[in-house]
Amino acid sequence: MSRPAKADWADDEEFDDPSALPAQQITTNKDGTKTVISYRFNDEGKKVKVTRRIKTTVVREHVNPQVAERKTWDKFGLEKGHAAGPSFDTTSVGENIVFRPSVNWKAQAAEAEKNGGEKGSIKDQLKDKKVKCRICSGEHFTARCPFKDTMAPVDEGGAAAGEGGAGGEEDAAGGLGAGGGSYVPPHLRKGAAGGGERMAGKYEKDDLATLRVTNVSELAEEQELRDLFERFGRVTRVFLARDRETQRAKGFAFISFADRSDAARACDKMDGFGYRHLILRVEFAKRAT
Amino acid sequence: MRPILLAGHERSLNQIKFNRDGDLLFSVAKDKIVCAWWSANGERLGTYAGHLGAIWTVDVSPNTVLLATGSADNSVRLWNVKTGECVKVWEFPTAVKRVEFSPDGSKVLAVTEKRMGFLGTIAVLDINYDGDFTNQAEEPSLRITCTDSKATVAGWSYMGKYIIAGHEDGSVSQYDGKTGEQLENVQAHEFDHQINDLQFSPDRTHFLTASKDKSAKLMSARNLAILKTYVADTPLNSAAITPKKDYVILGGGQAAMDVTTTSARQGKFEARFYHKVFEDEIGRVKGHFGPLNTIHVHPAGTAYASGGEDGYVRVHHFDKPYFDFMYEVEREQLRR
Repeated sequence: MSRPAKADWADDEEFDDPSALPAQQITTNKDGTKTVISYRFNDEGKKVKVTRRIKTTVVREHVNPQVAERKTWDKFGLEKGHAAGPSFDTTSVGENIVFRPSVNWKAQAAEAEKNGGEKGSIKDQLKDKKVKCRICSGEHFTARCPFKDTMAPVDEGGAAAGEGGAGGEEDAAGGLGAGGGSYVPPHLRKGAAGGGERMAGKYEKDDLATLRVTNVSELAEEQELRDLFERFGRVTRVFLARDRETQRAKGFAFISFADRSDAARACDKMDGFGYRHLILRVEFAKRAT
Repeated sequence: MRPILLAGHERSLNQIKFNRDGDLLFSVAKDKIVCAWWSANGERLGTYAGHLGAIWTVDVSPNTVLLATGSADNSVRLWNVKTGECVKVWEFPTAVKRVEFSPDGSKVLAVTEKRMGFLGTIAVLDINYDGDFTNQAEEPSLRITCTDSKATVAGWSYMGKYIIAGHEDGSVSQYDGKTGEQLENVQAHEFDHQINDLQFSPDRTHFLTASKDKSAKLMSARNLAILKTYVADTPLNSAAITPKKDYVILGGGQAAMDVTTTSARQGKFEARFYHKVFEDEIGRVKGHFGPLNTIHVHPAGTAYASGGEDGYVRVHHFDKPYFDFMYEVEREQLRR
């Protein structure tokens, strides 16, 4: 009896097939976890190795046998035939309630009320405040606005006008702006420094030390990028473009340095750097025209 | 703590009850269905359909086999908890405002309304657990007629020895559980302030009443002595004693008819926690948009549920601060 007992012809066929996947391997690690290595074909037909580490935890709970028996009951009435688990139309979870019994709860409640009404801590105050960009009214800080380089803040016009008025030479344009109700084209208005130049004004200078990073992973985080680039010098701003719906990175980012020489060094070193399975491409940001 | 919101009813809640093991929660409202919920996750186990009017009251047998409900369609129905089938209907001349199983589950009392020339009564029905539960005695084994003031709520004392009833005029009376003879009557609450709820301690030696006169009273079942008084600033609809920690929970709020004219703040739609012994208010739990109609505490004292005029049931599983809270004297005693 040299032949192994399980020599099915169907199995032999399998082994002959060159496209067959290697069998799944399960190894038990020292720390009690299991490593499962399996192979599968991905959408492009390529063989993919999947390694999973699995930790099994057994949660043991002692319940009354009657209660355990009831757990097996089927649903009935309006719920008849519904799947196990709470359904969304009848069951929901409310907002968290802080309940701390206390002898003088009234005094505490009154105090909390007062603090809440007047000042409270800055953090509490800002807790439910939405961040709003002054440039594009998006939900990010103005400093992180993607249009920062191309547009001036919406309410900045007035302030700039004030400065312009103080400088004597632009009086004519200023006069136009302040004068009668007639229409003044944007390039003649106060604050528009000169003919043809864009309104961004002081927002342009950091272009010089801004890097454009492309081929950034979808899973990238601003903080990670900051950490990566901070090695070369002080980073004043990191902007990671994100999809509005999914909040995932769009694949490019802008990093502004305080110093242009740092930026140049970073550009040199980080171009071609492998980050999160992708290779970064770093170049100086071109001015949007 | 994060409350679980149960939105199974379309109208205001009338009563909610945990079963003895605390894994199930039953709720009845002015719509005509009874809902059964898993208390742990708020999943609805099922509904019991059959009543033709608002359901005022619900109770579940100690072994969680049968469920009794009393309704404005003048009937008490008995249901098979597991299957949702109605196994028995008892017809009464008037609406049934309260049902309660005796501690051993062998009897159910039903409080009927005084209306249309009928006096308010407390009827005791014998329950038979044999077979498919349909073989139940037709006639009540005992009938107590309230000649003075109608009973609004009633319950069984320890071992079913007494039937304790709260009345419309604010008095509490004690009847013998076997003969129905009235033994005692105490004007516990202010005259003409209806008693809206009466719930017993786990051992049924004392009970808590909630009244329209803005107070709740802890009374002894044996002699109806008033042990403690908890004063609130709003009419009370429900009051419960918490096991495990010595608290009581009171619920109430502006009468339903005045709700639209008051803001949620003034409406006082909060569950109030009092220390059972020291009678101090120790905290409140907000959440409902209407008065709290009913409160019931998990028999293990780990959670409580409240049902409101807003049609929601909120199940709160207590977290650590609740269990940790102690008076200085209690701590002192613990140290010794």
